[in-house]
Amino acid sequence: MTHRSLNDASPTPQQTGAGEAPALLLKGIDKAFDGKVALSKAGFRLAWGEVHALVGENGAGKSTIMNVATGVYGPDAGEIIVDGRDVPLRSPGDAVDAGIGMVHQHFRLVGRFTVAENVALALHGAGRRVTLAEAARLVSEKSAELGFGLDPNAVIGRISVAEQQRAEIVKVLLLGARILILDEPTAVLTGDEARALLTLVRQLSRSGHAVALITHKLQEVSDHCDRITVMRQGCTVMDAVAMEETPVDTIIREAFGEVREAPRRQMAAPGAELLRIDHLSLTQDTPVLDDVSLCLRAGEILGIAGVGGNGQSELVACLNGVLRPDSGRIALSGEDLAKASPAHRRRAGLRIIPADRFDSAMARGLTLAENLALTGLADGRFGPWWRLSRRKMKQAAAKSLTAFNVLGGTPSTPAALLSGGNAQKVLLARELAAGTKVVVAHSPARGLDLRSARAVQDLLAEAVADGAACLLISEDLDEIMRMCSAVSVLNRGRLSAPLTGSDLTPNRLGELMVGHA
Amino acid sequence: MLDGTLLLRRQTVPGWLRGACYTGGLVFGLGLSAVLLVSMGIAPSDLFQEFVIQTFMTYQGLGQTVTAATPLVLVGLGTALAMRVRFWNIGIEGQLWCGAMAATWVAINDIGPESLRIPLMMAAAMIAGLLWIAIPLILKLWWSVSEVISTLLLGSIAFFWVQHMLFGAWRDTTTGFATSPSFDAAERLSLLGWEQVHGGIWIALTAVLVCTWLTGVSRLGLQAKAVGENMRAAKAAGLPVLTTIAVFVLGSGALCGLAGAVITAGTEYRLSQSLGQGYLFSGIVVAFLARANPLAVLVVAFALGGITTTGGVLKVFYGVSEAVVLMAQGIVLLSVLAAQLFADYRLSERRLA
Repeated sequence: MTHRSLNDASPTPQQTGAGEAPALLLKGIDKAFDGKVALSKAGFRLAWGEVHALVGENGAGKSTIMNVATGVYGPDAGEIIVDGRDVPLRSPGDAVDAGIGMVHQHFRLVGRFTVAENVALALHGAGRRVTLAEAARLVSEKSAELGFGLDPNAVIGRISVAEQQRAEIVKVLLLGARILILDEPTAVLTGDEARALLTLVRQLSRSGHAVALITHKLQEVSDHCDRITVMRQGCTVMDAVAMEETPVDTIIREAFGEVREAPRRQMAAPGAELLRIDHLSLTQDTPVLDDVSLCLRAGEILGIAGVGGNGQSELVACLNGVLRPDSGRIALSGEDLAKASPAHRRRAGLRIIPADRFDSAMARGLTLAENLALTGLADGRFGPWWRLSRRKMKQAAAKSLTAFNVLGGTPSTPAALLSGGNAQKVLLARELAAGTKVVVAHSPARGLDLRSARAVQDLLAEAVADGAACLLISEDLDEIMRMCSAVSVLNRGRLSAPLTGSDLTPNRLGELMVGHA
Repeated sequence: MLDGTLLLRRQTVPGWLRGACYTGGLVFGLGLSAVLLVSMGIAPSDLFQEFVIQTFMTYQGLGQTVTAATPLVLVGLGTALAMRVRFWNIGIEGQLWCGAMAATWVAINDIGPESLRIPLMMAAAMIAGLLWIAIPLILKLWWSVSEVISTLLLGSIAFFWVQHMLFGAWRDTTTGFATSPSFDAAERLSLLGWEQVHGGIWIALTAVLVCTWLTGVSRLGLQAKAVGENMRAAKAAGLPVLTTIAVFVLGSGALCGLAGAVITAGTEYRLSQSLGQGYLFSGIVVAFLARANPLAVLVVAFALGGITTTGGVLKVFYGVSEAVVLMAQGIVLLSVLAAQLFADYRLSERRLA
């Protein structure tokens, strides 16, 4: 396969001649998992020299069709044509040979290896034997060509997420990819890093590569993409439409259906102080939380914005008692909880919605009734210690599922079988039960489709309207701006003073998020 | 050929399918074991006669099978309890040896009145097994030491301790062999008058009932399930995670210790170097095949008792080695576990246009 260098390529998007075969053509793709239809006659057309957005809500089939394109899944029916040739993709290796490369959301890199070692490993896997020195030279050359400044001898686990992504891109390109698929590449990047990446993507397309960009950020789509494909419920509903012909609201309607635009919430006058954090600090190798203080009143939603990995998870872990802070005070209605057990904190009215519900809140193998009952076992409402009443558990669960509008499950359904949005509602049903004073919600709507996200946000807002307080930790500025009247920014473990009123603008938040505090 | 077929994970697994796969695996494993034995020169008719008729269908054979199954029920329950909270007790034999030593200590020192001798022996054995597993439990909870290593190594230590006692203080002076003096009548579990079947069977059945209550009815049972499925979630939900793990793991050690006492007081009537051999492997086989379900442990232990009985006969009368009997057990276990694949996944033909 000929490989065009970035430097000698003329920047002509017009390489996409009408007569030229598309880079990648997927036609009439069907794919079902054990009877559950994921793709139904779905298609995707990617031309040489373009940046092509693939948009749709979670579960629409974006990842599935890209997994078909990269040989991970064999389709049940349909055609895969790469550069005009019918290519049977029987394995990811076939896709690599056909010049298709994917940069996954979770990078396929070995954390303990250096960049060069990772590249050497990938090249070996593709049947190209290179020495480590050669791999390092290849990395240096490619990195210089792309303007990355990547150190081939840096260990993956010690470099930033943005650098890891660059390493992944270098690896995929060195494997000979001319068709690049990037899965939500900007989700983990700061604003500046994201802009740099999108510029690079444009450069690559100018030099003749074909780039598909899976994204949830419509701003990126309208600013940086040539054409767009929208998927919904396993079907392609907008097939490779030129961006300039497409207003953004059309895309939103096609991808997400009619969604009521929620007005910015009106806050009641805040009540009594419920949660107070004073000078919370935690050091793990480096300072993770640095003198964090905040105050939260009844009826208030305080937003904590910031790019993930700046101390958010550790703050949540300190609040639910899994991590012990080095110093500082956590007080709920005046009671110091810094050394209290998770059970004690829960009794005091502190409830946590963690970012990953199946990591630290619910168990996949337990039924919904069991998951819902876990927090109520201690007080004996489901019977004494020597006899647990399954019947009472199921009755209580049935009530919760109805009240929180959980679809697709009965009390006896294993939690693993619920969709993300419904599983999140089950968790909210449990955590927002009687006695809630403060809800700490960490990215509560992440990974949910727009409709479920709104439902989850509405439930949190209702709890606050009923007199609770909410600490909303989120990377999604739309969500933060819509939900919160006051917003602080967590950056490198330090929390800014809250912005309110006219100070609270996306621009100001953006500055605090990238600022070197 | 299989080229062009795919494995697809089923969204839900119907109960009948799980049952069918389990049975299929069992039949396949037994069949394969039979082929192995036939290939070693045992006539198929003899094998059928010994395994099916003599072991399960005659008064005498059934008695032997039940006797062999009694300690298997206890070690199976012990392993299953620890499995429920994801604690891999690979030191079953260690706790069993400690239980046997404790029972022997009570017996040969005539501790307590004769009428209470047996209950005292059983209680001492349970405490000994519990204390022996408490060491790896504490190591794991406080310093995250892998219990796979610590329980296994403590098993060897317990065995050397038994040898130390048998070649030293407890050596039977009348025979000179490395066994303890034989127990008095009050220190033996009473025979039921059916072959060698002894009172240990009531102990085993009681243990099944207690474990069924603990895992299926009590609050601790659900807590243990939550801990086993997702410990972080259980912690965050405010469950008493440490207490739950401690109860199940210490219970595991106590049951294995009890098994040691049941073997010494029920069939051997003395402590010897051989009475605990093989129970580590059998306990794991029973617990896995029973999927850590106490009632299923009873059934599986009975079946495995049959294999042990048949194995004994084959060893004595057909010259088959002990290793072959263990191989048969292993083949059955692997077959059943492998058959689970067909319950969890479906084979689908890959259609490429």
